[in-house]
Amino acid sequence: MTPRPFIAAALASAALLVFPPAASAAVPDGGLAMPPPPTGTTTRANASPADAGTPLPADGGTTAAAAEPPPPPPKKVEAGVFDQALQDYFAGKPRAAAGPLYAWLQATPRTDENYAWGQYFLAKSLIDLGLTHAGASYLARIARERTNPNVLPRALDALKDLTDRPHDEVMIDEQVFGALDLGFLPDETGAYAHYQQGMVDLRVGNERWANTHFSKLPESSSEASRAKFALLVTRLKQVKEPSDEMVKDFLGLSEDDKLTRDARNEAALAVARLRYERKDYPGALEAYGKVKLPELDPGRASLYLEEAWTRYKLGEVRAALGILTTLDAPSFRDEFLPDKYLLRALIFRDLCQYLPAKRAAKELTRRYADSLESVRGREDLTQDVRLRRAANAHGGTRRAARFVEVLDLEGERLGRYAGSFGDRLFAHLTKLYDLAHAEGVRVYEARLAEAVRQEADTLLRASEQVRLMEYEVGLKLYERVKKGAKVVSPQDEELLSPAQVAFHFDGEYWNDELKSYRVRIESRCIEENP
Amino acid sequence: MRSVLLILLCLVPGFARAQAEALENPGTVSAVQDRLYRMHHELTLGVGVLPADAFYKGFVGALGYTYHFSDTFAWQVGRGMYSYNVQTGLRRQLERDFDVAPTATAFEDQVQWMVGSDLVWSPLYGKTSILNSSVVHFEAFLLGGGTVVKVHRSDGFRPAINLGVGLRMFSGKTVSFRLDVTNNVVFAGTSRIINVPTVQLGTAFNFGATE
Repeated sequence: MTPRPFIAAALASAALLVFPPAASAAVPDGGLAMPPPPTGTTTRANASPADAGTPLPADGGTTAAAAEPPPPPPKKVEAGVFDQALQDYFAGKPRAAAGPLYAWLQATPRTDENYAWGQYFLAKSLIDLGLTHAGASYLARIARERTNPNVLPRALDALKDLTDRPHDEVMIDEQVFGALDLGFLPDETGAYAHYQQGMVDLRVGNERWANTHFSKLPESSSEASRAKFALLVTRLKQVKEPSDEMVKDFLGLSEDDKLTRDARNEAALAVARLRYERKDYPGALEAYGKVKLPELDPGRASLYLEEAWTRYKLGEVRAALGILTTLDAPSFRDEFLPDKYLLRALIFRDLCQYLPAKRAAKELTRRYADSLESVRGREDLTQDVRLRRAANAHGGTRRAARFVEVLDLEGERLGRYAGSFGDRLFAHLTKLYDLAHAEGVRVYEARLAEAVRQEADTLLRASEQVRLMEYEVGLKLYERVKKGAKVVSPQDEELLSPAQVAFHFDGEYWNDELKSYRVRIESRCIEENP
Repeated sequence: MRSVLLILLCLVPGFARAQAEALENPGTVSAVQDRLYRMHHELTLGVGVLPADAFYKGFVGALGYTYHFSDTFAWQVGRGMYSYNVQTGLRRQLERDFDVAPTATAFEDQVQWMVGSDLVWSPLYGKTSILNSSVVHFEAFLLGGGTVVKVHRSDGFRPAINLGVGLRMFSGKTVSFRLDVTNNVVFAGTSRIINVPTVQLGTAFNFGATE
């Protein structure tokens, strides 16, 4: 082996040291105050950075990349491509801007002063085109590389906006906001980053560290309220007997205007559940009343069921039965609520309506027969439609499922841009989406497996109770009535107050009535010793 | 006797079925809601038309005040309307071609203005869905009362009985829109009565209603 290549390389390095590449004269102070960034940058068309613009390899893709043939060297890009791409972007043509920006990034070393701007505008173009995950991956790269302090806050703001919709939680929440050096960030973004880092600490069980982040949040910020809520929820999991103070704190959060309506509702629900656990049923009902929904919003099935249980415990069986009528509405037909049948059976039993009680109890086993069979047969529960739907309805599984849906949708959308993006960007984004999709599906399936197990557990418990109920009702049904027994005089029906109006229910559900159903039903119980 | 038994026999399955249904699905369900819109002091501004007379059409501006004793019963304490009358082609033709005197009785029945008072009964209160995306509440009412009508003659004050129906659409707690279709039976002379129907659209402002 001759030493000639080494000599040539050494000479080239020396030449670069002696004649550093001309920096962009138009960039003041090495940064840009406001978009659009300055034009006139010299594009280093002749430079051939090996992998300047290539994406960071994902963990799973490293070995695969090694097996693949090396990518062809990037094409030369003419000077002015960057400027033209920016003009297109600001002219409202992100589709025309994306391809050239990517080509420019490929041909430009990372040390170029406008490299981060290039990434930023490519990200914005992709987001404008509805490819949010691809955009987020470039924004996350800016945040990790931190090559340009002027771009960074904008990139973080854009990333923060993306967190409102289904997103890659690991890439954005953990690897960006959860790992940022917080000293340089503007207030609002800094508060969000503190909140996320505190949340990461909370998730791993380190409340003290979480508190150091949360204590830095401005008291008037929404993040402070959200952090308080997260702290309370975490503590709630740890204590057996929640204190009065904790209930009061949740109550305060349920009236905190800085929180979103959803978060306030969650806090009100927490109050209601705590009061229910403490058998303070009127207090629980009052807390349920604090849950505010948009006009004509059907609300949440679990909330109705909890309220129905509360009213049942209070002895308001007719109101509880009314709420169970609500849960039969089309809006809630697909909800997984095995308790609903149990509660209905209990109410009918209490009113000595034994046939309906038996029917309500049987309804659970009838409706969930397939799922129960799957559980008992030890089949793969993730394949059971009902359990799967129930697991997908909330929590981390729901978020993961929605993220996979977004990736599917954006993957399809990407196909529409194949022509205008050019082969390189299209191939790159296709690979990016394939990898993200594979990872998204892996996360989703892991969460799903755990979630369906919990749902199956709920179903089994309800089924067990229902069988007991059936047995009990069966006994009652054939109980001998003693001589002289009388039917209990019906309870006085609550008459309409002058301020109320009643609409007879004939099977047609109106969203504005879902919270108002009341059942008029007589008790068939008899007094043994009148 | 045999036919009675036969009829009873035919009815038995129906009764049995009804009883089984009641046993399996006991109870009746109603949506019990706080009444969303309640009226108290109502001030109405409206416009309308007196459409019936063949010799003129009246375009009216109206003002009224109603006190609501309850959700179903109210007293329209006072109402007044002024009519701007436009002669019809028929009258012009009669005057021009047939030389009919303008002092003819029929021409003198033009309403200039009227004031009156009514009792209002609102037995219907309901709601309807608009395009399956919003709910609008309404009430329908009957009204009846007395009116003093000023007609177009020197001693033109005439008593009348007012009867009509109306519909109110609620827009909010304080604003609603009402359509009144009424008929004033005017005692124009000792043995002569005339009918003055009115169609009126108004905006009602509600004050002092409690929650």
